[in-house]
Amino acid sequence: MKSYLKLTILILIVTFTSCQDVVDIEVQTAPSRLVIEASLDWEKGTLGNEQTIKLSTSKPYFDTTKNLGVIGASVKVTNDSNGDEFIFTDQNNGNYITTEFVPIINQSYTLEVIYNEENYTATETLMSVVDNVELSQSREDGSDDEALEIKTSFNDPEAEENFYLLKFNERGDLFSTFINVKDEFINGNEVSIIYEKEDDKDSNTFVFEPGDVVDVEVLGISEAYYDFIGILIAQSEGVGLFGTTPVSLKGNCVNLTNPDNYANGYFRLTEVVKKTYTFK
Amino acid sequence: MFKKAENTNKQPLINNQIILLFFILFTTILSAQENYTISGTIKDANNGETLLGASIFFKDTTIGEITNEYGFYSITAPKGNYILVISYIGFTEINKEVTLDSNQNIDFELKESTNQLDEVVITSEEPERAMLQKPEIGVSKLNIKTIKQIPVVLGEVDVMKALQLLPGVSNVGEASSGFNVRGGAVDQNLVLLDEAIIYNTSHLFGFFSVFNADAIKNTKLYKGGIPARFGGRVSSVLDIRQKDGNSKNFAFTGGIGLISSRLAIEGPVFKEKGSFLLAGRASYGHLLLKSELNGNSARFSDFNLKTNYEINKNNKLFLSGYLGRDNFVLNKDLTASYGNISGNLRWNHLFNDKLFSNASAIFSSYDYNLGINLLEYDWISSIKNYNLKYDLRYYASERFKLDFGTSIIYYDFRPGEIKPNTDESSVNPYELDQKRAVESALYVDAEHKFSDKLTAQYGLRYSGFNRLGGQVVKNYLNNQPVVYNDFLGIYQRGVEIEGTNFEKSETVKSFGNLEPRFSLAYQLSESSSIKAGYSRVAQYIHLLSNTTSVSPLDVWTPSGKYIKPQLSNQYALGYFKNFKNEIYSLEAEVYYKTIDNRIDYIDGSTLIANNAIEAEILNGESRAYGLEVLVRKNEGRLTGWLTYTLSKSEQRTPGGSAGGLGIENGAWYDTAYDRTHDFSLTGAYKLNEKWTLGTNLVFQTGRPVTYPNGQYIYGGLSIASYSDRNSDRLPVYHRLDFSATYRPNRKPNKKWKGEWVFGIYNVYNRKNATSISFEQNIATGVNEATRTAIFGIVPSITYNFKF
Repeated sequence: MKSYLKLTILILIVTFTSCQDVVDIEVQTAPSRLVIEASLDWEKGTLGNEQTIKLSTSKPYFDTTKNLGVIGASVKVTNDSNGDEFIFTDQNNGNYITTEFVPIINQSYTLEVIYNEENYTATETLMSVVDNVELSQSREDGSDDEALEIKTSFNDPEAEENFYLLKFNERGDLFSTFINVKDEFINGNEVSIIYEKEDDKDSNTFVFEPGDVVDVEVLGISEAYYDFIGILIAQSEGVGLFGTTPVSLKGNCVNLTNPDNYANGYFRLTEVVKKTYTFK
Repeated sequence: MFKKAENTNKQPLINNQIILLFFILFTTILSAQENYTISGTIKDANNGETLLGASIFFKDTTIGEITNEYGFYSITAPKGNYILVISYIGFTEINKEVTLDSNQNIDFELKESTNQLDEVVITSEEPERAMLQKPEIGVSKLNIKTIKQIPVVLGEVDVMKALQLLPGVSNVGEASSGFNVRGGAVDQNLVLLDEAIIYNTSHLFGFFSVFNADAIKNTKLYKGGIPARFGGRVSSVLDIRQKDGNSKNFAFTGGIGLISSRLAIEGPVFKEKGSFLLAGRASYGHLLLKSELNGNSARFSDFNLKTNYEINKNNKLFLSGYLGRDNFVLNKDLTASYGNISGNLRWNHLFNDKLFSNASAIFSSYDYNLGINLLEYDWISSIKNYNLKYDLRYYASERFKLDFGTSIIYYDFRPGEIKPNTDESSVNPYELDQKRAVESALYVDAEHKFSDKLTAQYGLRYSGFNRLGGQVVKNYLNNQPVVYNDFLGIYQRGVEIEGTNFEKSETVKSFGNLEPRFSLAYQLSESSSIKAGYSRVAQYIHLLSNTTSVSPLDVWTPSGKYIKPQLSNQYALGYFKNFKNEIYSLEAEVYYKTIDNRIDYIDGSTLIANNAIEAEILNGESRAYGLEVLVRKNEGRLTGWLTYTLSKSEQRTPGGSAGGLGIENGAWYDTAYDRTHDFSLTGAYKLNEKWTLGTNLVFQTGRPVTYPNGQYIYGGLSIASYSDRNSDRLPVYHRLDFSATYRPNRKPNKKWKGEWVFGIYNVYNRKNATSISFEQNIATGVNEATRTAIFGIVPSITYNFKF
């Protein structure tokens, strides 16, 4: 809903002016923070025992040096009911890996990271996801009747409030596209999410063609993570005149030693359906 | 006289007690001398249009008056022989000898100055002295003629843009709805078109104003020192009056521009007992769009209607109407349409030559309708109000005038409704809670001349607000709609518990406020005066907007259980001086304004389609202060003005009952419309009979924005972390505009009068940033800052005609 609003206004502004250009702007630089990307996604039909947590640090906004992973931290996830501990081992490249993880739907887990003698923690519940995800293609359902689009459909369960995150990645693209969905106005219905690309020479993107391959993930997420990722997606698309005033986004990773030095990122546990679609 | 005044107390609509109190207080002031009254109406001889703000004075005295909104005046003076001077900007002054030995009713008709050069010349002393004497502080007037001379983008004459050339008035950028007055928010301006509330003042997301200059007689902006007869918005009142229509001849005015065409018809009706005006304006949608965007359009239109009928000398009826609409079609995905509708029926009644009254029944509404076809639903939202008003002015004596009256407004808020627009739609129908409220007010306001040098205006307004039931009001655990999560360090929605059902007859919450208003003018010399003012204003309805720029899709919400009324206190001090035989004038004012209960939005708040707005907001406060300087050249070939404003506008939102320190840790931070320096120069130069040149030069500090202060990788994307709210600034805004108006030789008897207006907006093609957005280039992965500049250099041509 909101993105459509933004779209109208954007189009309107574009119609009035072709005057959009990249400029040099001086920005402030905040001290570097720890970034925790702890996305424990359990793919349906697998054991979910192999999990990776990525640690890095933030850097100045226009800094183009390669991001270096954080080395030497200790990372651990605990099942809050039975106390089982899963130690993630340092791969010396910013990745911390375990092969022992035991995912349980609706189970609460706690993450503990110790880095630079500061103790970070986060607690989250593993959310389930629907299992009837169907992928199909069409031309007429999207904005552009000529362009191919991929349609991701599933039935939203009526009995509960559900929050979803969809991730689309065309093979060969540098970046994925994320869409967050909640069932507030579509509860209990068949939900279809359409992903269509448009030609844009500047950003080197093109409409889908037969033969293009797209990886699709549908994740069940918590309400708190829905709120978080919603702001993150909106802010990653740039904030214009009619955009919500941007905010410093706080995730759920708290610094117990020094609360002001909270970590960026999020500790999420989800169930995920992964599918691949090849355009015909 | 007193008998007559007391008779009026028997009118059922007047609150007896307060008025009686005032009469008792001021009985002593009224002298026992033998006084007589002259009253009547002042009109434009050419078209019979009543003149508002015209001055009528007894020469060599300080006895005089300014005509009211209906052109009415009433002056009282001791018995004697006088010369009556009647004057108005752009009109030839009338001097008339009168022998005041009885009460008289005299109507005057002023002729437009024949010499075109005199168009903006003020020749008489009295009106200027009036300006110095009148205890009006923080008031700006703009004549529609002046507005039409100002160069504008794409040749569309724009009242709102003209206002922004005055000190203390700004907006957040070229594409933004509304305007900001003295560091106040857009929703803190009461915009009245013939007394009807206009909720959205912009067409096309802020590019053009909703007011068709051909239908407007006068605009007056109260930035501070708001008289007690107005209330309901804490920052300003913009009082716009429509023309009555030509009561002598049928006339057509119109224009053809690059954006729109307009046509107005006016003429006498009801056997010369009345007149009407009907004006329409419509844009050409296709002009705005690039050819590559097929199936898209953006267009607007508006219609103004005004008619009046004089029943007899003492009774006159007026009917006004306005209808404005914007329509967008974005491919097949989305349609959007929004606009204001208003209507007002008024009855002017003269009880006697000293007591003028007006009763109004007003309707106004604003609504929008989005058709989100891609997702197969419509989204509809509206606000409606019905308003009854009764205002009286008692011209008690030369030294004392009293305004008093009452008003009641019924509001109907429909924040939003979702309707599936196809059978296959996956969206369920849903409607957000409708809200209803009543706002009532009662006021008295006195204009009191203590001596020839000291004049005061003081008044009191009592306003009440009842949020009515007919809905379930949500309740929250511990009565906290928003809760500070100590552990995560963020504000979160509270836990909803069972709500309370209020019947339609019940009141959910009621508020009442006493609003004293006070201003004072002391004349230092023939040509200078100082003024001081204080005003307290309450505002009961709020526009929910957490975007940088107010959008037409923002929703109004009433005060109630969780949202408190905004309360402002403003203090102002001013110095006014005329130089060089009043060729130049100087106005300088300083002000300090505080606003309590200004709502602010927690990080990540979502306001659209949200039925629990209280869980997204905290009650905070704001303050603004500044210095405004205006220098005007009133006379000669070159006229115009120069303004400079130095100001600060900031807000603070402590956690309050939600806990925590508050938004931005409870610290003061700049509002999105804070402008430290704001300079503008507006000039018109009469080259000869055919050509008039106009120019604007504008320079403003960039508005506060929030830029990133770092980046990190998440989900494979570079994510910006943002700094404190509004702690950065856009680059400085400046531009220069030119216009040239060509009036071909006019034969005096020829009915058709045409003029060409050529304009260049932003002459040196400055790319003023309306916004700067930060994102990752998806081809290279490098972070970039992208500037959006709305208007580069824009030439325009418009043809206006009259016949």
